[in-house]
Amino acid sequence: MVVSVKQLEKHYGVNRALGGVSLDVEPATLFGLLGQNGAGKTTLIKILLGLVAPTAGEASLLGQPVGTFSARREVGYLPEDHRLPEYHTSTSLLDLYGALQGIPRRERRRRAAELLDLLGLAGREKLRIRGYSKGMKQRLGLAQALLHGPRVLFLDEPTDGVDPVGRKEIRDLLLEERRRGVTVFINSHLLGEVEQLCDRVAILRKGKLMVTGTVADLTRQKASWLVAFDREVPTSFHFPGASIAAVEGGSRLRVSLDPADGQGPAPAADGSEGIDRFVAAASAAGLRLRHLERERATLEDLYLAIADGGGTP
Amino acid sequence: MNDPDRFPRKQADAAGRVTVRPMLPRTFAAMLRDTWREFLDAKVLYLLLLAIALLFGAALTGRIEPQPGGRQYLDIAARAMAADLDGIDIATQTMGDVAGRLNGSMYAITAAEPIAADLPEGHWKATLTRTFIPLVGVPESGEEITDRFGKIADGQLWTITEIRETGTEWARKIGSQTWEMAVAPGRDLRLLWPHRFTLFGDSIELAGTKGAPLGLEVLILQKLLATGLGGTILLLVSVAVTAAFVPNMVRKGTLELLLVRPIPRWQLLVFKYVGALLLVAGLLGILVLAVWLITGILANVWSPGVLLALPSLLVFFALLLSVSVLTGVITRSVISAMLVTVAYWAILFIAGQMNNVAVESRIREANVGKMRPTSIAESIRGRQPQRVEPLKAGRKPFYQTTIGRITEGVYAFLPHTEDLDNLVDRQLMRDFAVAGPFRALMESASFSWEKGLGLTLLHTVAYLGIACTIFSRRDP
Repeated sequence: MVVSVKQLEKHYGVNRALGGVSLDVEPATLFGLLGQNGAGKTTLIKILLGLVAPTAGEASLLGQPVGTFSARREVGYLPEDHRLPEYHTSTSLLDLYGALQGIPRRERRRRAAELLDLLGLAGREKLRIRGYSKGMKQRLGLAQALLHGPRVLFLDEPTDGVDPVGRKEIRDLLLEERRRGVTVFINSHLLGEVEQLCDRVAILRKGKLMVTGTVADLTRQKASWLVAFDREVPTSFHFPGASIAAVEGGSRLRVSLDPADGQGPAPAADGSEGIDRFVAAASAAGLRLRHLERERATLEDLYLAIADGGGTP
Repeated sequence: MNDPDRFPRKQADAAGRVTVRPMLPRTFAAMLRDTWREFLDAKVLYLLLLAIALLFGAALTGRIEPQPGGRQYLDIAARAMAADLDGIDIATQTMGDVAGRLNGSMYAITAAEPIAADLPEGHWKATLTRTFIPLVGVPESGEEITDRFGKIADGQLWTITEIRETGTEWARKIGSQTWEMAVAPGRDLRLLWPHRFTLFGDSIELAGTKGAPLGLEVLILQKLLATGLGGTILLLVSVAVTAAFVPNMVRKGTLELLLVRPIPRWQLLVFKYVGALLLVAGLLGILVLAVWLITGILANVWSPGVLLALPSLLVFFALLLSVSVLTGVITRSVISAMLVTVAYWAILFIAGQMNNVAVESRIREANVGKMRPTSIAESIRGRQPQRVEPLKAGRKPFYQTTIGRITEGVYAFLPHTEDLDNLVDRQLMRDFAVAGPFRALMESASFSWEKGLGLTLLHTVAYLGIACTIFSRRDP
């Protein structure tokens, strides 16, 4: 395990930031950490980085207790709302962080030049960070996290303030890192991006781990469909085992099928035989199909359901 | 973007990478460069260098010229011959201290006129008369007079180039000798000689129309520019610039990027501190060196005593910086760090001044009814001894009043930075043979620069230690 956390708790006075979180993360994973502001995501990351001491519980990183120097040498971090010292230029800042990381001068110069080139910051070496745009600061923040070739990356909102092309480049970069065996933790509120990028996600609420699993599992298909016909469905139309509701202003219907209606042949593997019979019945009633789409649970649905105070939907 | 060869270090991983260990010198050098960048970014360096250059320029328009007035220094040299003052500190020791060294003779200059010019470079013709008690004292030879005339303590005011005894045999028998002599200025005469000091041509007169002793002028100039106004302004600017260092470093979003590195937290703070200290040491070095050069060029006096101002000011700044760092760590605010540091400085200054008053009141009280000690230097300049009068009935000496007691009580716990300043003052006074009660106070046992240095360093280390402890333990 790259990260192993058992019953981790962190209290700030009476305020409980983390209340017994357990989590295991395997190598070469893009791991999304989701949750509302104050859910405990940043606290969890800070404990894993050794910046904050846990009140109770155990946490290890790459098989070592968190916070040891050898663990820190393997970790890259991009904090949320980071403020890079504005009196530095990109090269001087990377040189500082590289030296503190223990990289010899020649090596860190070479790495800095590579990363600046890779992140599209080449040619601006003389410009002080004061004159950087938000996106440029974000790219430089990523560069410092990658500088020493870490085996684990903790990135808080890595694409914040970056334009769409830049976001794509950063996503590709992170995928490439994963391909090399790096484990990447991403804190983000951009659920679509997390869904697109991450292998696994965990959702925290009020210091508790509500859900964890692969993105594929969490966004599995539902037993409901969006359907549109060429005209309104007459009130006389009925189909046993289906509940029909108008959605999207009446232009479409949500058809929820009871999977255990017991009619017809053996169910198909994806449970789609019910809708075939529904469409056939509608066609027999003179309705012509214009649109058919299976509904999926998005990460957003899941997230909102948990944020509303429920458990797994 | 997807070039797999972009990360050679990662490939080395698989082959078994040698762990790179952070080394102390590397970390230190990196933090030093960081501090230097931050300092340069404040743009103050250029202003300070400009200010020092302007000071230099202004000072170099000055002219220091000797004034008439050599006769009095012949008189001083003659009177001083009444005792053997070899190795005696004339500024602090009184005539009473050297009573055993009096030789029973009186010497006086009865006539004097300059041979060439009435200037320290000029030579004089003078008549010296010695009066002694016949039978007790024996006549002196011209060689003996040549050997002793003009020497006061370690200084050499005059040298005799020609001497001829002119008195009659009869006068000699009743205890009176007379010599005609030609004298040349000795190496230390210039420091006592009155000089005019003007700036910007003749437009500003700094030492009165008659001038003041060159040594005193140089001392005041050095004190004003190095430890006085110049040093104070430089330290104030340094406090203002360095006050931002720690709060900037511990800002949310910046701090995490430093704390995540594989180095102990205290190193970040201590290296930043040492970096700032080295920068200010450089600035102080430039200032003190500039002052030394300015007075050297202007007055052709190259005494190195003023260079002591550098360690003295630096130790003081080390204390101020530790207060600034501690406040910065606690409050994370630039304004707080600056204000608390300046307030601390003000408290030290006021407490030091009030303590001086208390010490003076103790010395005075111990000497009530006695003759006020008059140094040899004062005596040979003709100052009359005075008795120390008791205070008016019902008035307590300052050190016995409530405020006096509080002052001495509080001062005992403060770093005695005043003594570091006194160390420089005392050295300057020694360099330039300046005497007087102020110097006597400075030389008194109440002032100990060793204690001042020790207490200051102790406070500095304590504040820094507390700052490091808080910094290491607090969650970011």
